Amino acid sequence: MAATKISDISWHHDFPPFFTLQPNLDTRRKQLDAWCSLVLDYCRLKKVCTFDVNDASKFPPFFNAKINRQLDNNFIQVLLEELRSRGNIEWEDKHKRRCLVLWKSPEEWAKTIYQWITAHGMNGTVCTFYELLHGDDTRSAEFHNIDPHLFRRVLMELEKRGQATVFSDNGADGVKFS
Amino acid sequence: MGNVFGKKSSKPSKQPAITEQDRAILQLKQQRDRLNQNRRRVESQLDREREVAKQLLKNGQKDRALLLLRKKKMLETQLTKSENILENVERMTHDLEFAQVQVDVVNSLRQGTDALKKMNDILKLEDIEQLMEDSREAIEYQNEVSNLLSGGLSRADEQDVEAELDELIRADEANQLGQLPDVPHHRQGERTRVSPTKSKQRVLAEAD
Repeated sequence: MAATKISDISWHHDFPPFFTLQPNLDTRRKQLDAWCSLVLDYCRLKKVCTFDVNDASKFPPFFNAKINRQLDNNFIQVLLEELRSRGNIEWEDKHKRRCLVLWKSPEEWAKTIYQWITAHGMNGTVCTFYELLHGDDTRSAEFHNIDPHLFRRVLMELEKRGQATVFSDNGADGVKFS
Repeated sequence: MGNVFGKKSSKPSKQPAITEQDRAILQLKQQRDRLNQNRRRVESQLDREREVAKQLLKNGQKDRALLLLRKKKMLETQLTKSENILENVERMTHDLEFAQVQVDVVNSLRQGTDALKKMNDILKLEDIEQLMEDSREAIEYQNEVSNLLSGGLSRADEQDVEAELDELIRADEANQLGQLPDVPHHRQGERTRVSPTKSKQRVLAEAD
């Protein structure tokens, strides 16, 4: 993967005031919009699916050594809450330590996976989790190597639509597509 | 799709059902996955050992390099064996999946044949013959009725009328023939009307 600089994703990242929560509400709204896009674009690019609050300070978009700026915890909390309210983040636990990053909504993911399965004629077949996430056949697929929690979440979505059934047998995790 | 038949089932049981065969397939696929993982691991191990062996040779440690190569050989034979097993597992998986397809095909054929048989029962040949007979009689009767109603030209009268019509048509054609323009005898006369220059051109053209 070629090293894409974060400033290529968003020019705001090299702009010092970007890292300070703006008091003016209009500006703040624009600022949060830009931050949300930046975070989601970065995660989509690097296929980052989970985020741990403890590692927040090491998350590349949240600091810029070049201009010596870093997001403080308050801003991070505000940003995470904003992302959650937009449906781009789902907390895994009540204490808000880890969350799933949904740069693609579960419904979109479900559609992507089901389309891939149909395109490869795998309707009505049984697949193991391993072969879908790490198999050679899925190397070109968007969902190759995504986080297992995210994968389960998306499969739940497919189950709701009646397009898949998740089951396991003797320790093997599998899913059957309709 | 479930809504087409109304309130057949309100619970979300339109998910695909899991059969015994599905569980068997899952087990086989898990074995295949494990074998694949094993193979990847051994392959990367072999690569690393190859690098180490090269390094040892560079440092002039031939015996150690030899030992290493022996170990590598053992790994390679193990790899071949596991690849054979993998092939067997995959073949079994494919056979099982294909057998499911075949069972589905046979079931559909059976269903189709039953439906066709039912249809044929409705169409008994004797009934159809009777039906066609009745239909023909009814049509004939209807023709008679309409003849009576329309006032009654008998058969002979009809023929006379038709003969008269033919006569009229022939007479008309003969008339038209008589009125066709005659073949012109006055070609020369026609030319005198045309201008002198043009007549010269025409002469030239005709000479060709």
